[in-house]
Amino acid sequence: GDTEGTTASSEDETITLRAATGLSAQHAWWEASMVPWMERVEELTEGQVQFESFTSGELVSVPDEAEALETGTVDVALVLPIYQPDQFPMAEVTMLPLNHSDTLIASKAWKKLLESEEELADGKTYSEMQFGDFKVFPISTTQEYSISTTGHEFNTVSDVEGTSLRTPSRIHEMYAAKTGINSVTMPAVEIFDSLSRGTFEGAFYSIADWTGYGFQDLFRYTLTGINFGHFNSFIGMSQERWEEMPENVQEAMIQANEEIFEPGAQEWINRAEKIIPENEANGGKFVDFADLDPAVQDHFNNGIEETWTDYAALLEENGLPGNDLIKMWRDLLIEEGGEVPESIMNLE
Amino acid sequence: MNGVWKAYNIFHYIKLAGIWISGISVLLMMLMIVYDVTMRTLFSSSIRGGFEIIQNYMMPLVVFPGLAYVYASGVLPKMDLILERLNKKAKKIMIFFMLLLELFVLVLIVQFSWEYAMSGLDRKTAFPAAGTLYPLYPLFFLIPIAFAMIVIENIFIFIKNILDNNPSMVMRETENKPEELL
Amino acid sequence: MDNLVVIGIILAMMIVLLATGLYIHSVLLASGIIGLILLEGFGILPGLLGNEPFNRVASYTLTTIPLFVLMAQFILHSGLVQDIFYMVHKVSKGKNSLLGILTLIIGGMLGAVSGSGTATSASLGQVAIPELRKHGYSAPLAGAIAASGGSLSGIIPPSIILILYGVATETPVGSLFVGAFIPGILTMIVFILVMLVYFQMDRKKQQQVEEPVIHEVHTPEKLAISRLVIVSVIAILIVLIIFGGIYSGIFTPTEAGAVGAFVGFLSALVLGKVNFQFFKSSVVETIKLTGMVMIIMIGAQIFGRFVSLSLLPRQLIKLIEPIMDTPVLVLIAISVVLFFMFMFIEGAAVILMSIPVILPIIQELQVDILWFGVFVAVICTIGLITPPVGLSVYAVAGVSGISSGSIFRISMVFAVVAMVVVCGLMIAFPGLATWLPNSM
Ligand code: NA
Ligand code: NA
Repeated sequence: GDTEGTTASSEDETITLRAATGLSAQHAWWEASMVPWMERVEELTEGQVQFESFTSGELVSVPDEAEALETGTVDVALVLPIYQPDQFPMAEVTMLPLNHSDTLIASKAWKKLLESEEELADGKTYSEMQFGDFKVFPISTTQEYSISTTGHEFNTVSDVEGTSLRTPSRIHEMYAAKTGINSVTMPAVEIFDSLSRGTFEGAFYSIADWTGYGFQDLFRYTLTGINFGHFNSFIGMSQERWEEMPENVQEAMIQANEEIFEPGAQEWINRAEKIIPENEANGGKFVDFADLDPAVQDHFNNGIEETWTDYAALLEENGLPGNDLIKMWRDLLIEEGGEVPESIMNLE
Repeated sequence: MNGVWKAYNIFHYIKLAGIWISGISVLLMMLMIVYDVTMRTLFSSSIRGGFEIIQNYMMPLVVFPGLAYVYASGVLPKMDLILERLNKKAKKIMIFFMLLLELFVLVLIVQFSWEYAMSGLDRKTAFPAAGTLYPLYPLFFLIPIAFAMIVIENIFIFIKNILDNNPSMVMRETENKPEELL
Repeated sequence: MDNLVVIGIILAMMIVLLATGLYIHSVLLASGIIGLILLEGFGILPGLLGNEPFNRVASYTLTTIPLFVLMAQFILHSGLVQDIFYMVHKVSKGKNSLLGILTLIIGGMLGAVSGSGTATSASLGQVAIPELRKHGYSAPLAGAIAASGGSLSGIIPPSIILILYGVATETPVGSLFVGAFIPGILTMIVFILVMLVYFQMDRKKQQQVEEPVIHEVHTPEKLAISRLVIVSVIAILIVLIIFGGIYSGIFTPTEAGAVGAFVGFLSALVLGKVNFQFFKSSVVETIKLTGMVMIIMIGAQIFGRFVSLSLLPRQLIKLIEPIMDTPVLVLIAISVVLFFMFMFIEGAAVILMSIPVILPIIQELQVDILWFGVFVAVICTIGLITPPVGLSVYAVAGVSGISSGSIFRISMVFAVVAMVVVCGLMIAFPGLATWLPNSM
């Protein structure tokens, strides 16, 4: 409730914050970022701040977390802005496909993007333009997205064209259209059933996230060494609620965020490393992109380049600084050790 | 009471229009999904954005326009342990109490779902499907309209209970007599 | 206000409002809204009342509700089921108990193509109750048979409940489906046995009062052999298309609703029953049922938000902490708590609000997560036919006009027996749920 907040200026009054996610309690973002963050804040404030948490959509469903922060239904939440391209059209930038990156590279670039002081347009930074209503605590991105199928292989270009894959975001839909992949959308809970019965062939998904839906039992062919972007998230509070927090609490929250950031990203890598041998033991095959037929490689790569420029053009059409944004994202990624196709490097 | 019935008959036509919108929507929804399955099976291509369109457009159109008609038809379930055993006067008092409680709840829903729709209009809420954004906020207005119609139905029932001697929770005790269905 | 006080007030209020005969959706809405106001003040309402109705309805998975009902309507108005029941009546040579068994088995079979117990109950209520009544079943028993037969969709795969559980606990949904198969059949068998006992009791009662045993007034007009052949072929085709389509991957269990409705429509076309009246009555009945189920789901959703915020599930779980050393006791305690929660609250909501709290306990007890999911789905299925919130019974009451109170008096017995027998067996022999998935 609001009453605690307004009177919380004194340093010894207990502040109970309602924390929520629509994701499951086992999801890496909740288990390895949000929970450690909350525990650390409780520790640093010596119990002055307490969290009451609600997971799995018990109180708020994906992707209503941002709205729930604004209406005051919850005080702090995991926000997944990519699910709302109508409200946060520039959040999808981390989903742009790449030649190389990993969870740490993308996470650090995402954090830098959120904390960037650089003016993107109209005298505003990236965060001010997209998330001005929120206090943003950056957390890791997901592991990179791969293409996995229940057995369908990509040996020729015609194996790629006409294949039905489940697409998780607008960027993947754009990429699918470019490469002749037939994009399927369906509720996450139905994917397992449909995949196992052959309703479609595979999905764009991050390996570390497979266990969420039992995909480790299903996928038999995964393309690695090409990277279909990283899903992003942050821990958010409404600006209003944030400003009600006493200074020592604000400091504790920021410090806790710094501390949990890298271990949170590492968790994605650990999970993937655990899943890959299990999947291989089940007959799963991981194929390196560089080992594919050169014609197939070109086909995938052309799609990558066009997706970047198409996404920028889409934003520009809507009066947003798309060209500047993709260059900014490219530079941040390169700084952290990522790789993009040459034509993207050459964008000026 | 005659004037009330006249007004109620006009209102009845509005509800009928609603249930026809819902009815046509459910048939369309069936055809869309069957078409999608057929196209996917035979030509391995599906309606672009079909799933999102069905979920966000068709489902609300199936459920909300017909809701006032459904309410008035008396099919909505309740547990009837006490009411039927009361005398007329006590029954009437109970009915007034229940109607007021219903109105309180319904008016709150109308108010807040209206505010939600207006804020959606403000933000131009949209959903992504097959790489494009489709406007979502117009659908939000179905909810305050549907619940406002149920409020109107309840006001009619309220007036009927004031003017008429026989206490009742519905305007017309016709449809769904058990014998008709069994 | 203190959470426990608010919970007490709201539960008392619910019971009073239910007893006075307020519509069930209004009871849920009023208790939920007043509870939220008492807990948090008016300020909490805009964020929850404004968007919940839309979010609840705008779901692809829920298209199964109108579409499976539409399928039932088309099939009903094509005369197919009446003809089949007539044939079964002939086959059973006046053994009317067979009709009840058949209805429950059809319920189980419909369960294999439907994920939602409520929708199946409504369809079954419309098709089966008139026939059961003609063959000597009392109205409440016929209602209870339809409601419990339909509720089997909650446990016989595919099941929305199992899908939700799989997502909440990260358990493979496919394994859950396989694991639920034997307990689902077991539940069906228990329902059949309880039904037979009731049927015999009804019969004795009628004989004592020396009433005519069965209303044989109705002599079905003779059906031509050719029609019986056509009807049989169509019926088998429908089942084959739906089962075959789902299990071969041509369409998903959700899409099966639409395909089923379309096939039902084609059948009516072949049987020459399609005209304007056919469309009108099928569609209007479908919308009535859909509206009824959805408005209750909206109420349940808002009431569920109150329950979440009041931390009721956590308080309940706290009570069982002292007996953590004896897993069987904990499991029995959890089942009892869940049984009561499923009595009062819509199933999906219970899953969503209780799993985050119960799962850690289950893991600590080292109980198999898959086994527990099937176990919860059984209790949830049973919850569909227990008062005061038993969506399957309300669906049947809504379509048949039989009072929900009278159905509950019987379905509650179905529920308690199934709870004791099936859950008891599952605790004693966990292999009932785990053997199939492990051996595949
Ligand atoms: Na089922
Ligand atoms: Na119940």
